[in-house]
Amino acid sequence: MVQANNTPDAVTTDATELRYSRLVHRLSVALTVAVFPLIWVGGLVTTYDAGMAVPDWPNTYGDNMFAYPVTTWLFGPFDLLVEHSHRLLGTVAGFISIGLVVAAFWFEPRSWFRWWSVLVLLSVIAQGALGGFRVLLDQRTFAMIHGCTGPLFFAIATATAVMSSRWWLMRGESAVGQSSWSTPRTAWVAVLLLLASYIQLTIGAQLRHVTGSVSPQLFMAFVHSHLTMAGLVAVLAIGLAATTSLRRETPRQVRFPAGLLLGCIVMQIVLGIATWVVNYALPWQELSESLARYTILAKGYWESIIVTAHMATGSLIISLATVTALRAWRSRAWGVAREVNSKWKQQVA
Amino acid sequence: MSRIWPLKHLKVIARRYCALVWAVVGATSVGCDAPIDAFRPNTIYLAKLEKSQNADLRPAQADSNAALESLFGTPDKPQWPEFLQSDDDAVGALVSVERLQQAAGPVRSDEQDRHFGLFREHCVACHGVSGDGAGPASRLLSPYPRDFRLGKFKFKSTPIGKKPTRADLRRVLTAGLPGTSMPSFRLLRDEELEALVDYIIFLSVRGEVERQLLTEAAMEIDFEAGERLFDVRLKESQPDEFAAQSGLLTELTTSVAKQWSGADDAVTPVSTPTKPLFAAGQDLASDEAEQLAASIENGRKVFLGPIANCASCHGATAMGDGQTKNYDAWTKDWLEGLDPQNRDEIRPMLRLGALKPQYILPRNLRTGVYRGGSEPSDLYLRIVNGIDGTPMPATAMQPDNPQGLTESDVWDLVNFLLSLPYETISQDAGITPPPTRSEAS
Repeated sequence: MVQANNTPDAVTTDATELRYSRLVHRLSVALTVAVFPLIWVGGLVTTYDAGMAVPDWPNTYGDNMFAYPVTTWLFGPFDLLVEHSHRLLGTVAGFISIGLVVAAFWFEPRSWFRWWSVLVLLSVIAQGALGGFRVLLDQRTFAMIHGCTGPLFFAIATATAVMSSRWWLMRGESAVGQSSWSTPRTAWVAVLLLLASYIQLTIGAQLRHVTGSVSPQLFMAFVHSHLTMAGLVAVLAIGLAATTSLRRETPRQVRFPAGLLLGCIVMQIVLGIATWVVNYALPWQELSESLARYTILAKGYWESIIVTAHMATGSLIISLATVTALRAWRSRAWGVAREVNSKWKQQVA
Repeated sequence: MSRIWPLKHLKVIARRYCALVWAVVGATSVGCDAPIDAFRPNTIYLAKLEKSQNADLRPAQADSNAALESLFGTPDKPQWPEFLQSDDDAVGALVSVERLQQAAGPVRSDEQDRHFGLFREHCVACHGVSGDGAGPASRLLSPYPRDFRLGKFKFKSTPIGKKPTRADLRRVLTAGLPGTSMPSFRLLRDEELEALVDYIIFLSVRGEVERQLLTEAAMEIDFEAGERLFDVRLKESQPDEFAAQSGLLTELTTSVAKQWSGADDAVTPVSTPTKPLFAAGQDLASDEAEQLAASIENGRKVFLGPIANCASCHGATAMGDGQTKNYDAWTKDWLEGLDPQNRDEIRPMLRLGALKPQYILPRNLRTGVYRGGSEPSDLYLRIVNGIDGTPMPATAMQPDNPQGLTESDVWDLVNFLLSLPYETISQDAGITPPPTRSEAS
């Protein structure tokens, strides 16, 4: 343990060391890392329409999902491989969440965080149950909801990793009570970006899970909304990157994810255009010989990767926006703490 | 222990989380999958008949829906009329009930990797549940997805007015249509492609029967006098009347199905070319090269000439810049008697689900992209058969028409078309004025 001395900075460091649990943080990071491939494989389930490749749940063709023959899983039908892998990856996230709860109750001194870890576990259970209902009821609506709550869980896992980090604790937890909740503009922009990205993702899910009962007018409205929201998200991302990079006092921990976020959004726009092209072609093919020659390949390898990557990048954007918003908010609290500390130092001097 | 965020804050978070989840549920439920328990009726055709007959034909629609369901079932449980299954070999073999059921219904697959619900998985987003070409994505596509219900298909080996063969439909499925939203399904298995072909034929027959039933009802049946197109309650009370109604259904359905089963007999044979065919980068002996050059030059004359008259639509430059203000048969079908430029006139039809009229554009032949296939035999068939449902006519051919083209002329035209993408634009097809009819003769 770090020896306490009489300066407030040192007190903060000591308090941080007391509160920081490496195991809890590592489990939180492991959960976040495990959720991303889970989202990818979940995206492949939708891309290949493999949601009903295993008609029962939680069993797999009558077997306990962990006892299902590996040979059939890995070398059987591709749809079964994708769906069963998605379920197994889901259980990995579940087990890590259980470990997180145990570790949090064992090592984590912050009571709210311990209950937060319970919320994480409940969320992963709810997400799994939604996936199960999608199968048992054979409802694409549940698939859509499951697809929308997946990124939400990714954001929760990301938030857990951020809030369990040493950086989070060092950034003036002791001063939170003194902050006036007047979070800086950067944090608000990040929160707005997070909300806009999530709304954008739900609209995208409507387009991705389209069924024959959707009218052309409604589909068109979703497409236009998706395009409008893409513009709004891009503007917010540019604004966030600009405010974080132009203000010198912005910590690196905020500036970096904000920059990464902008990069992801640029990539997402490119992937979005590509997704439309590989699904529906462009309406002005005659302008370009290469587009006029292009024939879409249904369920092609690259087509599937592009469409799934568009979905997964949407989730990544939400995760990065969560990191940026939380860190920006926390940096503001730290700013207040530094101010308090410096005033205290002046008084001592 | 720090108590900065007590439990009450957690409760607030939990409440907000729940609210967010419900918001997502609400937002996503807007487009939720309402059960697809019936085919969408052809209300546009009904409105057209109502206008032309100046009558309320809603009873006709109700009867037609009941009759169609008794014949063809529902999107989840399609059926093929029994009298067609027991018909002669060609009609009986047209559609397999087993394949039909594999293509229909919700999407799923099993442990043996058999896939079901193929139409909903691959086709419904554009072509719609009833094959009306008005699926969710249709309004945003150009050209619009095909409406199967008119029984017209563009790229086929049979003449205009004839049904395509199974091989024609299968070719479009496997090759796709380059430059359009119609993908290639070449990664699907044989039995899956066959199941889709069956389902397309099923939807097309069903759609044509629906149109004929509505026409019959509009022209022949006096609903105000209590006459009915189809009433299943009469089966017990008035069996003779019901037998007459069923007889009409059988007659109409069989006549449509027979057109399909006769498609193989209507295939246009592709003659053997007597001259070398153009291929990029080929190395020909000098005499063959001379023959090819002469063939291309003659093809150019045919292209600009008054018989084939290709330049009138494809333009003197062959870039598709000739006659461009025309519509396809699927649009003309509901536009009949309406001014497409007058929004007020067409609005009622648009409200019923008709897609906004879109000009059909002649192909830019210099791109070398031919939607119906770029093999010489594909181009031969397009020239000789025309393209059904479009302004592209079948060329007049000798000996049926003494003024028409010879087989040799057609192959010359094919050579000219194949060479066009490799010509510079300065070798503009229209630099020399088109020959007059006397010059051509």
